[in-house]
Amino acid sequence: MTLTLRKYMLAAASVLAFAATTPALAATELTVQRFFGACDAEFGTNTDASKAVGECGIITSLINKFNADNPDVHVSVTTVEWPGYDQLTAQFAAGDPPDVVTVHHSVLGDYQSRGLLMPLDDLLNSVGISPSDFTDASLSGVTKDGQIYGLPIDNWTMLFHINMDLFKKAELVNADGTPKLPTSVNELMAQAKQFKEKTGKPYFVQNLANEVALYTRNLYTYLFQQDSDFFADPKQVKLNTPEAKKVLEMYKAIYDNDYTTKDMDYAASINAFLAGEGGVHLNGTWVIGDYNASSETAGTALNAGGYAVYPYPQLFPGKKAQYADGHSWAVSQKDRTPEEAAAIGKFLKFFNDNDFEWSRTGHLPAVKAVLESENFKALPHRDTIAAVATLGTPLPSTVQRQFAIQDIIGQEMNAAITGQKQIDAALADMESRINELLANI
Amino acid sequence: MSSVSSGMVGRSAGDRIVLMLTIAMAIVMMAPIAWVVALSLKDNKELMTDMNSVFHVPYTIANYINILATSSVFRWILNSVIVSGVLTILTLVLSSLAGYGFARLNFPFRNALLILVLLGLAVPEQAVLIARHQLFSWLKFHNTYHGLILPGLAAPFGVFLMTQYFRAIPKELDEAALLDNASRFKIFWKVLLPLTLPAQATLGIFTFLSSWNDYFWPLISGTKKEMYTLTIGIASTQTNFAQSEGLGFLMSQAVFAGAPILILYLFFQKYIVTAVSGAAVR
Amino acid sequence: MAEAALPGSNSSAAAGARKAVQDLNAPLWRNVLFVSPYLFFFVTLLVVPLFWGIWLSLHKADAFGTGRFVGLDNYFRLFRDKIFLQVVGNTFYFVLLTVPALAVIGLLLALALNRNTRTAAALRAVYFASSVLSVTIVTLIWRTVFIGNFGLLATVYGWFGATAPAFLSDPTLAMIGIAIATVWWCIGLPMMLFLSALQQVPREIYEAASLDNASRWRTLWHITLPSIRRTFVLVIIIEIVLQFQLFGQAWLMTKGGPNNASKPIVLYIYEATFIKWDLGLGAAASEILFILIMIAALAQYFISRRKGEEG
Repeated sequence: MTLTLRKYMLAAASVLAFAATTPALAATELTVQRFFGACDAEFGTNTDASKAVGECGIITSLINKFNADNPDVHVSVTTVEWPGYDQLTAQFAAGDPPDVVTVHHSVLGDYQSRGLLMPLDDLLNSVGISPSDFTDASLSGVTKDGQIYGLPIDNWTMLFHINMDLFKKAELVNADGTPKLPTSVNELMAQAKQFKEKTGKPYFVQNLANEVALYTRNLYTYLFQQDSDFFADPKQVKLNTPEAKKVLEMYKAIYDNDYTTKDMDYAASINAFLAGEGGVHLNGTWVIGDYNASSETAGTALNAGGYAVYPYPQLFPGKKAQYADGHSWAVSQKDRTPEEAAAIGKFLKFFNDNDFEWSRTGHLPAVKAVLESENFKALPHRDTIAAVATLGTPLPSTVQRQFAIQDIIGQEMNAAITGQKQIDAALADMESRINELLANI
Repeated sequence: MSSVSSGMVGRSAGDRIVLMLTIAMAIVMMAPIAWVVALSLKDNKELMTDMNSVFHVPYTIANYINILATSSVFRWILNSVIVSGVLTILTLVLSSLAGYGFARLNFPFRNALLILVLLGLAVPEQAVLIARHQLFSWLKFHNTYHGLILPGLAAPFGVFLMTQYFRAIPKELDEAALLDNASRFKIFWKVLLPLTLPAQATLGIFTFLSSWNDYFWPLISGTKKEMYTLTIGIASTQTNFAQSEGLGFLMSQAVFAGAPILILYLFFQKYIVTAVSGAAVR
Repeated sequence: MAEAALPGSNSSAAAGARKAVQDLNAPLWRNVLFVSPYLFFFVTLLVVPLFWGIWLSLHKADAFGTGRFVGLDNYFRLFRDKIFLQVVGNTFYFVLLTVPALAVIGLLLALALNRNTRTAAALRAVYFASSVLSVTIVTLIWRTVFIGNFGLLATVYGWFGATAPAFLSDPTLAMIGIAIATVWWCIGLPMMLFLSALQQVPREIYEAASLDNASRWRTLWHITLPSIRRTFVLVIIIEIVLQFQLFGQAWLMTKGGPNNASKPIVLYIYEATFIKWDLGLGAAASEILFILIMIAALAQYFISRRKGEEG
């Protein structure tokens, strides 16, 4: 009898063991690491991305859908605090990186230059994705040394978010109802002055405290527009130039004449714009959804006269351009079985195919066909900002440590604009600090 | 018993003024915390447009439900309890033993070793972070509990604190016990350790607290979702723009992560202020 | 109890006792057993990594390789860097702002709240409560207090038609703003250390003093404070060590700005290590921070010791 019992128990145990190991045997495990937060409560089990909203909701739903559609692959997601590079660097250093990870286009070069990322040309080719599918801005963002090191999923940039009610009061509206935007520095100053006189409020809402990115992106944009090739040599920046001085002088004049909000951090600036405290909020593609929703809610400042959003106006007579960055899926360099490589290919292909869903976040699609599709154009305000996909210009792909460079530029620009430092001194320090940084890579 | 510090009986006018002042200051101290709790009970979208909405209804517990719905949150709580709990217990044991040893016993190179440990107090975490990370990579300690616990055991703060407290205990006590032929360990355990209870409680709470809120080491060592501590885990659920679009959620996370320590404090605080000293010295 | 335990009486027992007390102070190897468990972790996880860090500071390296030996080059780079010299100054300034405040306020709170009443217990919990918050939340709170236009401070000043000082964007105020937030956040530890020290003062001393009709001030000045002198030194040293390592508050409230006015050394180290990937430079700056903390803490220790001997 004991023998029978033992037999039963063994059988039961093996059934259990089989049940437990079956998915692992059949499915290829893929570790995916991403930022964008967690939203399990709302979208934890949702597989219909079209029903999701926001970066977190859409990416969660897309990955759920991928897992549901592909029983032979199991994607396990680790969410990291934005931007997650401290953690990623530590993982690479410990020799234990995730398979697929979100990386900004501007950061790909850092990891790629140390041979930590896998070139994706062959893999993308094997699943039928061609580089010519991507928009120019996206393709140049992920191409390093002639090879693709990340699947681009979007481009994002800073935009002019406009409170049309205040623009109407300031009489800065064209006959067709569109906002009148400046075409030169002088015109910007004149319009800002007019705006302040008519509305009593500053033209710009900017987050100037606890901030470096906004300053830097503004500088890059207006340097591009002057054809200033400040990174002709990716190891040696030239910022102590008349072009850069013009940009800083412009922003200093805006600051000195109170054409902008002061002392605000990021969250305060959003509050200020939504409360109608200024005409133009300089912020990214990612707030379009929220601002649009606010403009459709009765009683809000944006509902009073409408909300519009535009790329940065061309203020200088050079190339039509503005600084852009983007998100991509990068793949760590590792020995992998053909199954694992194929699973990664499938995952990338899936995101490429669903780029439209992702573009609902407000970011611009990385896939040309999506950009040109009716679906995309039908999304709110996309008609006015689609131009960014061609205007969008990253720094040269071989420039490393772009986050560190951004910190330096932001600090020095802040000092110059708020009058703590002479513009010339700030530009000289900016240049020498960046070059010291780049010389020591 | 009303006032141990002054040794006075009853309440004088001065006493009352001091009390009023501490209460007034406590209200100022408390205000931001009350504000955090209030924000945690508000809808995120509402806060994004109007921060002042925190002062009126509607309130909601949706943010807390959101936290509890996060798939791994209970695992993270468990991880934090294990890491902080084990670290605290081990720190108390190691620090008490070493504190007693340094304060009361003589052994070769004692003073040199004590000075070395005290110099260790001056070592900033950053000076050892990278080396520890490389060491633990080599030992394959990353993404394990011992990998998260061990670095905290080297902190000299506890030894410094316990050495000071053991020194403050009158020597007659253990010399008397020694004549009683009690063993060294027995004196430590039965006679002196109970007298350090206020210090033990203080050290325990702050070891637990700093481990619970520790950010940097767990971030770069426990990098897998299953090994996140609560601090890292909840930080990972925030979106890039949490401070504008998810303020209520952020605050509910703060309350959620801070509450266990406050409860622990309330539990331990009776050991910090008791009549222990009077009873022990007789 | 001790007397009752003494067997018999007479001088032989007293001599034995004296011998036992002498043994108590004799250096014995087996006494090391009490300190060796801690010393094991101390050496493997602090001393060894510290020397490893010093070795690293002599290299040009990132996280993915051993790099190459550059001698003292990283240290020379630091001393040529205006910003590094500025952050050293900032750090000392911050320590001067916070450490005395924490020690004095902590002591006053402990004196006021060292009672066995419910009110005192509740107030102690209130003063401790801010310590349980993580740095992310502490800084978020204080940013919304300090921030222009919408902040609590701006609102209050607005009632009186005044403009609030810009604690986050005025270079002369930024560090002070961070110090205020820090004192608010960190006051729990010194308060509790003083409380547990006050608990150690034998009550008989107070009873004797009250029999002598000593005034409250005299009791405080001549009995309470001298008996917790050791703890005062301990609190000062611990706070020096902690506040020299300012990082999160500055990073999250001002990013070290404006114009690096509120950037502390640890933030410089973080940027060098994790943003510039310049591990050797970060390691060199860490060693300098170590030396500065050591000098400051030792100075405090010896000053207080000499005073103690005189007194």
